Amino acid sequence: MTTPLTLTPGRRPDGTALLTAVGEIDMTNTEALCEALDATYGPVVLDLTAVEYLDSAGLNVLFARADRVELVATALLAPVLTISGLADLTTVHGL
Amino acid sequence: MARLADAEHPSPSASAGVFAADAEVGADLAAVDWAATPLGPPADWPQSLRTAVSILLSSRFSMWMAWGPELTFFCNAAYRRDTLGQKYPWALGRPASEVWAEIWDDIGPRIDAVLATGEATWDEALLLFLERSGYPEESYHTFSYSPLWDDSGAVVGMLCVVSEETERVIGERRMATLRDLGSDPSVVRTEEEMLAFAGQQLSQNPRDLPFTLTYLFQPDGTARLSRCTGLTEAHPVARAELPSDAQGAAPWPIAALAAGGSGVIDLDGVLTTALPAGPWPEPPAQALTVPLPQQGGAPYGFLVAGLNRYRPLDAGYRGFVELVAGHIAAGISSARSYEAQQRRAEELAELDRAKTTFFSNISHEFRTPLTLILGPVEELRAQFEGGDPRVREELEAVHRNGLRLGRLVNSLLDFSRIEAGRMRARYEPVDLSAITTELASVFRSAVDKAGLAYEVDCPTLDEPVYIDRGMWEKVVLNLLSNALKFTFEGSIRVAVRAESDHAVVTVSDTGIGLPAEEMPRLFERFHRIETARSRSNEGSGIGLALVKELVVLHGGTISADSTPDEGTRFTLRLPFGKEHLPADAVETAASTAAVSATAEPYVLEALRWLPTDTPDTQAPPMPTPGDTAYTSGPEVPARVLIADDNADMREYLTRILRGAGYHVETVTDGHEALQAVRADPPDLMVSDVMMPRLDGLSLVRELRLDPRTAAVPVLLLSARAGQEASIEGLQAGADDYLVKPFAAAELLARVRANVELSRLRTHHARWRTALVDSLQEAFFVCDEEGTVVEINAAFSDILGYGPDELPYRPIHPWWPKADSDPEGHRQVALAFAGLMEEGQGRYTIPATHRDGRRLWIDAAFNQTQDPDTGRRVVVGTFRDVTSEHHAIQRESALAALSLRVSQATSLPEALTGALSELKELWRARQVTAVVFGHRAEPAVTATDAAPEWRDVPADRRAALTALREQPLLAPVTDHTGAGITVEHPEGPMALWVDVGSGRPFTDEDQLLLSLLAGRLAQGLVRAHQIDQQRETAIALQRAILGPSHLPAGFAVRYEPATQPLEVGGDWYDTVALPDERIGIVVGDCVGRGLEAASVMGQLRSACRALLLQDAGPSRTLMALDRFAAGIPGALCTTVFCGVLDPETGRLTYSSAGHPPGILAHHDGTTHLLEDGRSLPLAVRPGRARPEAECTIPARATLLLYTDGLVERRRRPLSEGIDKAGEAVQDGRDVTVDDLATQVMSRLAPENGYDDDVALLLYRHPAPLEVTFPAESSQLAPVRQALRTWLERCQLPPQTAQSVLVAAGEACANAIEHGHRHTPGEPVRLRAEAYVDDLRLVITDSGQWKIPQPEANAHRGRGMPLMKAMMQHVTVTSGAAGTTVQMRTRIA
Repeated sequence: MTTPLTLTPGRRPDGTALLTAVGEIDMTNTEALCEALDATYGPVVLDLTAVEYLDSAGLNVLFARADRVELVATALLAPVLTISGLADLTTVHGL
Repeated sequence: MARLADAEHPSPSASAGVFAADAEVGADLAAVDWAATPLGPPADWPQSLRTAVSILLSSRFSMWMAWGPELTFFCNAAYRRDTLGQKYPWALGRPASEVWAEIWDDIGPRIDAVLATGEATWDEALLLFLERSGYPEESYHTFSYSPLWDDSGAVVGMLCVVSEETERVIGERRMATLRDLGSDPSVVRTEEEMLAFAGQQLSQNPRDLPFTLTYLFQPDGTARLSRCTGLTEAHPVARAELPSDAQGAAPWPIAALAAGGSGVIDLDGVLTTALPAGPWPEPPAQALTVPLPQQGGAPYGFLVAGLNRYRPLDAGYRGFVELVAGHIAAGISSARSYEAQQRRAEELAELDRAKTTFFSNISHEFRTPLTLILGPVEELRAQFEGGDPRVREELEAVHRNGLRLGRLVNSLLDFSRIEAGRMRARYEPVDLSAITTELASVFRSAVDKAGLAYEVDCPTLDEPVYIDRGMWEKVVLNLLSNALKFTFEGSIRVAVRAESDHAVVTVSDTGIGLPAEEMPRLFERFHRIETARSRSNEGSGIGLALVKELVVLHGGTISADSTPDEGTRFTLRLPFGKEHLPADAVETAASTAAVSATAEPYVLEALRWLPTDTPDTQAPPMPTPGDTAYTSGPEVPARVLIADDNADMREYLTRILRGAGYHVETVTDGHEALQAVRADPPDLMVSDVMMPRLDGLSLVRELRLDPRTAAVPVLLLSARAGQEASIEGLQAGADDYLVKPFAAAELLARVRANVELSRLRTHHARWRTALVDSLQEAFFVCDEEGTVVEINAAFSDILGYGPDELPYRPIHPWWPKADSDPEGHRQVALAFAGLMEEGQGRYTIPATHRDGRRLWIDAAFNQTQDPDTGRRVVVGTFRDVTSEHHAIQRESALAALSLRVSQATSLPEALTGALSELKELWRARQVTAVVFGHRAEPAVTATDAAPEWRDVPADRRAALTALREQPLLAPVTDHTGAGITVEHPEGPMALWVDVGSGRPFTDEDQLLLSLLAGRLAQGLVRAHQIDQQRETAIALQRAILGPSHLPAGFAVRYEPATQPLEVGGDWYDTVALPDERIGIVVGDCVGRGLEAASVMGQLRSACRALLLQDAGPSRTLMALDRFAAGIPGALCTTVFCGVLDPETGRLTYSSAGHPPGILAHHDGTTHLLEDGRSLPLAVRPGRARPEAECTIPARATLLLYTDGLVERRRRPLSEGIDKAGEAVQDGRDVTVDDLATQVMSRLAPENGYDDDVALLLYRHPAPLEVTFPAESSQLAPVRQALRTWLERCQLPPQTAQSVLVAAGEACANAIEHGHRHTPGEPVRLRAEAYVDDLRLVITDSGQWKIPQPEANAHRGRGMPLMKAMMQHVTVTSGAAGTTVQMRTRIA
């Protein structure tokens, strides 16, 4: 069983690819995250506002795509993103 | 171990095992048909009986025991030998009352008392009539009856340790009689008095001498009754006269007795009149007749002794009667000899009186016989000139002494003439100088021979002096003789001068001089000057007196002046002319006679004082056997030492005594005599009184002072007659006194009498020694310094120190050594001080036998005076009380051990207590016990820190292991102590008492050890039973106290006040309710112990049932009110009852009079749950109870308790509650279980809780514990559970998220790395909230990879993340798995 996570692709008003995640991200569902990100082309905004949990497995996916991924997150995930250094590599909105 | 393999089918060897300790008695015991006794077959016997039988049989002390309803009899080999006699083996297995039917009246009540009270009895020397030898026998026993317990602790029998004292008691009784018989030997009695005294003493021992008859033989061969005891003279058996023929004297064998033979006479049927029985039930059946022996003669008579029919006539009894007879005979002998001496003394006194009269009246008659002696002797001398030297020598002696005797007779006659005024003087005018010079020249040879200068200065005077020539000769010769006698160096001077109308003659010497106090009596008649030194002590004391009388007759004067050590000068003044003289006695012309024969004796005598060339000890030839004058010699050769300064006397005495068959040695003065006697004491010492250097009286005193020579008889010879002189001699200690002159026959009679008296006296001394030696008590005499100077045989027997090494000076060798036994040494030193200072007393003290054995002696002593020397001495006796001492010690040791073991509340405590008791008893270095149980390693217990079995030295391990092979309760010793095997409930136990080397472990010690070990085995069984009872009770208590599994977050404690059963009336309970809520109950029943516990159990069950019905706290308590009303003892029980929702911390509660719960908040404040209060249970059943509600916030701690925790005497309850609250607050950083321990110990009073305490703690929220399989799919649910728990902890959201991330990473690692190859293995997560922080532990059973971020950068983010999220992270990886511990503070 994988941890419940829904990934909904979309577009931002400016046309940038958008991926909205709802649920928790851990080692059981990073593969789905990878696939969803890799299904987009070019810069993509990953909306983590409704994500309650993100662990190192999820971070690894994001680090690997740091050059084309921008993040939207709440204060709940801020420590993970800051401590891991991801916030320095990519743009994080909403903090 | 001698355990029975099969209780239903006892094999013969198994039943023999009980009796294995003694082969012989054991075999006979095994042969008893036990099934027919109340005890049943040995296989069924309880352990306690087996123990008792083992002790009995293995002991060498005389013992018997009785067991069971009929008091079935057992005994050991020693008892069989000493006491049971012919009743063995019949007695084994029989009821004790049957075995000892004849004394049951005596011992039955004692045994009943032991069985009833459980207390031991002690009887010392109790008289019992045993029928063990086929007749009722007088016997004495010292014994104790001790109770025997069965396995349940009930008294079911008794053990008797007995020592037979018949020999001692009877021996002491007989000895008392013998001692009394000789109690006052110094008083010489007449025969009649002596017999009366003896009869009186014999009548005081009617036990051994129910009656006695003392007959004395008459000269005609008949016998006359002298004394009887135990019956009157009117009794037919006490016939006053017995004819000499056998038939007439019947039943006494008079002829055999007269010949010195003794006999045993049967009295039964011989006499028609009943004999007196004395103190016994039946009169004597036999009498012993023994002669009264006379030394070297027919018996004096005989003694008939009626015999005690309750004792056998053994050697001791016979010897006793013979000693009694011997004593009576010695008394008769001494009385008769005293009477004879008395008669002789009277006769001698009469003789002396006659002699004196004879001498003074007719001494002039001597002159004729003297002349008739001297004349022929003179002729014979001339005739034998150049003849046989021996004859010549004897003639010379006769001649010399004849002359001397003549001179003495003449002097005496002169006196009597002067007295009577009949002195016929003839005064003629002479040239005094010429005559004096001539007289002086007679002495020249003697003076020259003495080595003195001799000055005669006598110029011719102008006038003649009228003198009687004979008298003047006597004057001058006496003075010269005197001067020579007392002058050892220097000179003698004779001078004549004219001085106005007097001629002055001086005789001076440079001799020893005279003390001033002697001067006034110098010329007194018969006064002798006692001087330190002279050439001879011969002298009559009449010389100077006569000189003075003679000078006075001449109308002259004599005076003397003298200085001690310088010399003496006599000055005579004679008037010139004749007017002062009676006219009829004055001659006108001088005769021409030269110096008369008078001078010769003086000179000859003086010459004998001077040293001669021939030694005078040279033995003259023995006289011929037919010489009738010398026949009264000794029967046995005796040695006589003669001390006399007169050579003639020495020779004379030697001749007489040698002739009579004595061995004679001679010495010339007292000093030499003393040395000779000390070197080799003679049978008799004959000494002159007057001797130079040391006189006879001083000699006797010296001899008597020295114990070695005190007994030498001394016969003093002296020329001094008169009663006073002889009294002086006898007072000095002389045995006899003989006045010169004496006849040879008289001397011989006295010498013989004294030698024989002395032998008689030593016979008494020998008799005394025999008496003292036959005492069964040790006897000793100490002098003033405490030196033991005399001992008897029993002394040597008891202590091992014999008379050959006497004297024993303090500190005596039998004292316990101060270094090895300071306590024993101190006791003896104390007793010795008592002996020296008090002079009497009685002490029971330790002593060391020569072979090193420890003894205990009971010593009594008294101060007295040595009748011979008058010195203070201490006379003492003691007996060996070692066995009595040990019996008492045994009893007290057994009592102490029993007490110690019975007070113990557990098996280990019983054993530890017993070991320390043993250690103290033997003052041991260590006592070790090893139980070879079912555990892998033997369990060691020791008096100091108990080592592990492997820490015990190998040799001791081997010894202890070897002990296991020994039979139970059979002690084994080596040089360091003793060991024994005891049955321990957990298996055989080897016990070792290490007393250290150098101290013997005696037979008594072994017996004691075996008794103690037996008692210990029983005690251990009892302690084991207590242990089991307690374990059962604890199990019960635990079963009813609370759930075996507490809900998470709870901790409980229970401590009962009552020991040893850990049960009480307080309780706690938690009840898991169906809706996840938890019922919480803490209650307190009134009272303690088992009773309160049973009330508690019922209330607790009821309360639990009510809560499970979802009744709610107040309703539960109300229902409980009604329930409690029906339970006795439940009234006033207090209860706190609550229901907790662990999710929210909501607590509803109601209190029935219970102390308030304490809620400690994480911010440090404390809140009391004081609402919902009402009365204790059953006080008002039916009344509604309130209910309160509160919410326990996160990280707050709830404490519920019973009043035992907080209630203290004379302290307000609030103080205890505050303290409890503080204790909870202080435990912020410990787990709730550790907190429970802290609270219990912090609030415990100094001596422990004196009331039951129940305590319940809950910290909210309860820790989270999740175990899940190592699969990634588990991550989300686990995270959800943790998230929910974190919410209960009421953490800030960010903190909760950090914890969540860190825990998620740890779990992911556990799944990914720990169990990569073994998915599904369990992973555990535990999260616990403390007051100020939060702790997580994630555990798996795998091994993590060491993170290597450089090599695998994208895989290494987990750990840094964990460390960043939490304040403290540790990862411990080992073979068993990996544990991650994380902690974070809660702001």
